Amino acid sequence: MSPRSSGMSTLEYHVLLSMAAGPLYGYAIKDAIEHESDGSVSPRAGSLYRVLGRMMASGLVTEEDPPADEAPHPGLTRKYYGLTPMGREALADQSQRLKQAALLAEKRLGLAKSNR
Amino acid sequence: MKPLLIRLVRLFPEDFRQQFGEDLIDQLSIDYDRARQRSVRHGAAFAVTNAFDLIRSGLLERLRPSYRRTFTHGPAQGASGHMRGMKMGGGMSGGWMTNGWIRDLVHAARSLRRAPGFVAIATLTLGLAVGANAGIFSIVDAVLLDPLPYPEADELVYIAASAPGSDFPEEFGIADEFYVQYSEEADLLSGVATYNDFTATLRVDERVERVPMSTPTISLFATLGVSPMMGRLPVAEDEGQAALISHGAWATWFGSDPNVIGRSYDIIGESRTIVGIMPPDFGFPNPNVLLWIPNDPTAGNINLGRFGIRMVGRLAPGADIAGLVGQLGPLAQRLPERYPETSAAYASLIRQHRPVVRPLTEELLGDASRPLWILLGSVAIVLLIACANITNLFTVRVEGRQRDLAVRRALGAGRGALIRGQMSEAALVAVAAGALGMLMAWAGTPAFLRAAPDNVPRLELVEVGGGTLLFTAGLALFIALACGLLPSLRASSPGLSQLRDAGRGSTRKRHWGRDGLIVAQTALALVLLIGSGLLLRSFWELRNVDAGYETADIFTFQIAPDGDDLNDGPSYARFHTDFMARVAALPSVESVGVVGELPLDEGVRSTTFQNESMAGDDESGSLLNFTWTGGDYFGTMDIEVLQGRAFTAADHQSTFGNAIVSEAAANLLWPGQDPIGRQFRRRNEDIWDTVVGVVEDIRQQNFREAAEPLIYYPLVGQTPDRWAVGSPGYVVKTTLGGDIAPEVRALVREVAPNAPMYAVHTMESLASDSMVQLSFTMLTIALAAVLALLLGAIGLYGILAYVVTRRTQEIGVRMALGARAREVQQMVVAQGARVVLVGVAIGLILAAITTRVLTALLFEVNPLDLVTFVATATVMIGVGLLASYIPARRASTVDPVQSLRSD
Repeated sequence: MSPRSSGMSTLEYHVLLSMAAGPLYGYAIKDAIEHESDGSVSPRAGSLYRVLGRMMASGLVTEEDPPADEAPHPGLTRKYYGLTPMGREALADQSQRLKQAALLAEKRLGLAKSNR
Repeated sequence: MKPLLIRLVRLFPEDFRQQFGEDLIDQLSIDYDRARQRSVRHGAAFAVTNAFDLIRSGLLERLRPSYRRTFTHGPAQGASGHMRGMKMGGGMSGGWMTNGWIRDLVHAARSLRRAPGFVAIATLTLGLAVGANAGIFSIVDAVLLDPLPYPEADELVYIAASAPGSDFPEEFGIADEFYVQYSEEADLLSGVATYNDFTATLRVDERVERVPMSTPTISLFATLGVSPMMGRLPVAEDEGQAALISHGAWATWFGSDPNVIGRSYDIIGESRTIVGIMPPDFGFPNPNVLLWIPNDPTAGNINLGRFGIRMVGRLAPGADIAGLVGQLGPLAQRLPERYPETSAAYASLIRQHRPVVRPLTEELLGDASRPLWILLGSVAIVLLIACANITNLFTVRVEGRQRDLAVRRALGAGRGALIRGQMSEAALVAVAAGALGMLMAWAGTPAFLRAAPDNVPRLELVEVGGGTLLFTAGLALFIALACGLLPSLRASSPGLSQLRDAGRGSTRKRHWGRDGLIVAQTALALVLLIGSGLLLRSFWELRNVDAGYETADIFTFQIAPDGDDLNDGPSYARFHTDFMARVAALPSVESVGVVGELPLDEGVRSTTFQNESMAGDDESGSLLNFTWTGGDYFGTMDIEVLQGRAFTAADHQSTFGNAIVSEAAANLLWPGQDPIGRQFRRRNEDIWDTVVGVVEDIRQQNFREAAEPLIYYPLVGQTPDRWAVGSPGYVVKTTLGGDIAPEVRALVREVAPNAPMYAVHTMESLASDSMVQLSFTMLTIALAAVLALLLGAIGLYGILAYVVTRRTQEIGVRMALGARAREVQQMVVAQGARVVLVGVAIGLILAAITTRVLTALLFEVNPLDLVTFVATATVMIGVGLLASYIPARRASTVDPVQSLRSD
């Protein structure tokens, strides 16, 4: 287990999660996070890029070449970011931890019982 | 707002911006625009939260000294950088708590906590001043700093005409043919359009109202660089049957229904189709316009020589205003040649024609900008005075702690440490004041805006948001420096003798700084006092102007009747005569009249008139104002009939061709002669009217402008379709004033259910509206002046009271040696008076230099008005002496025995 993955913030987790299916550019990351968190995480631009910068610095995320089939779009050339192997590992660890924590919570709250 | 957010991105370190800067800005712009499109509030909320986020993230990113940024391309290097950059969540352990600044701040906070009274006074005083500044700044920011929401707004120019030597006004709007000529020939313009604004009837289902509209040329939108939010722009093929609606109209008239596009409505009495909805921040030429019906002059409908049309152009790349003037002049000169059907008078006017070009910003902001700058200046002065006060309080604090400081110095604290300690206190107070000020600006600005004159454009865009926050932060920094510096220097060099003589006050030295501040405070407060005094006198003069008519107890309104039986002058006249009779029958009504253009509300029309002897000469004539009137207009408004008679009922029913002229018009057309029975006509018309009465001159436009000559026609002209007075202004003399509105409304519903009733005012409210710019500026500056005076007096009192306390011993010795109470009082008062007098002298000089910025607002008062200068200086000296007298009294009650025993 990577030491990094402990104490990952919700935003950090969602940033990694958004890129798990393949590299994305900045605005798409934001959109993906909002979508995947059902709108509960809506990162402000400054915070989002700061998190992205830290993850690049710690080797979880890296800049990648744009996909060959990128649709034409107006404006700037988009920078794409994707997960490094270590990033994948950190995401997997954290997901595992979250899953265990969620199971434990369900058990304690007796969700299983009340469902029946 | 957006530029501010983008500026904040610079808070991030250079290498961060290289990697993410463009994306960050891109994302902020897109999201801001989206939020702004939802509503102003969403936009503001987005701006504020993101401004905070950017400041926080940017500073945190900079504040991580151990943090290594290795933004590299490709996974291999990224992985190698990983171990070094690993420190993420745990971050800032250790280090910062021992940082010198933080420690100083903590100490300062502790020390301030022991002086809650001082902190409360300092925070409140400064907070008030900061709040006023932040509030006014948020208005200046929206209205003046970024006034036009169009791309490359500095290329936009306003184009008009002048004709020196002709009887046309100093500056006037161009005519259709100028537009055709300029748009075809002027290559220094990349776009040009004409526009106007007026009120007309809009009918949507059951709702009928008079609303502000505009009929610009189609090119307006391309020239400004705007496009509809939904739908399309009109094209020439629409032939003026297509309308664009504002975002506001879409919401309030059509329930934000997107399907409104393509539907047709009754607009200005014709069915027109809505083809597009404009974005929320578009309002041209003013934000009230709800509807645009673009149409271009064509060979068939061009109105040659019909001047008075406003024009906006966009300078081509590289072009400037001087160059454009040089090009437009010769283009206009070719107009008579291009349109040979124009008259000789037209050709002679064109020979005198000179184009007028100036930035559009200047045209649209007009008179609004100066009062705002003046207000910003005034509140800035209040802030300076508050700073001076607090600086003095801080200095007094430092002097009280001289022994403490001397001990610290003796124990080895460096000068730097002592300065830092003092600056930290100032910084904490400044931050608290900033926060309080921001809160006050946020809470108070909306109320302030409601009182503001509604001729200020873009006022609805004022928001106390990110921009104001930055400004307030800047102010706080300024306060910290201003209030901290002097006391810090004082704190940094405590006399070590303090330790020896038990801290007994040395009182005679080192007050130059203190006295200097009092002098500055007094001078600045006097400048504000004089400014508000001048405005007060102007207001007084304006209130007492003889406008020629009364404003008390007069209710006014307009209706726009419409129907198949209303089609010519006599039919409209009958309608209005009947309706006037119905209104006059209401129990509280004394008299009723109608007039084509209501004074103070609707401007005035003008054209060239000729008397009998000018007939046949195409170039002679006088430019006079004219309007129509019926019923008992002169009696209701108390406009005196000087000669002859007012119109009778007969004048409005048949076609006698009788008219009434104002005294000035009579003097212009028949100087020195009896005007009754004389005849006049409009130039180029062959119908003569006969003067049956002469009435008093009135100020038609506003109270500032002198009365202009005015001709009154009856409701019916010499032929039934010469004119028809469709929607005149009604004036009703009634003891109920504005409270009669419901009764009149009921009558309108009964008599003409389809006629919208609008422009409902009282003459009194129109009068106060016409003075609102002056009264608003006056009240705000007066408020600032009173605040300044109060702060100044408190400052002086505080210092003298402190000095008296410090000199208790000295005073005690003097009294023991035989000085009398009166002498002691005089000594203290003299000390205060000296300082105040120097301040007043400097203030008078400053005021003499600065009051000329008020000239445009003043009315019949000289900016150097002696009475105002003397009176306010007297008040200032009086307040200064009073502030000195209270501590002086206390000094004279010192008991010598007590004071000598006290140490």
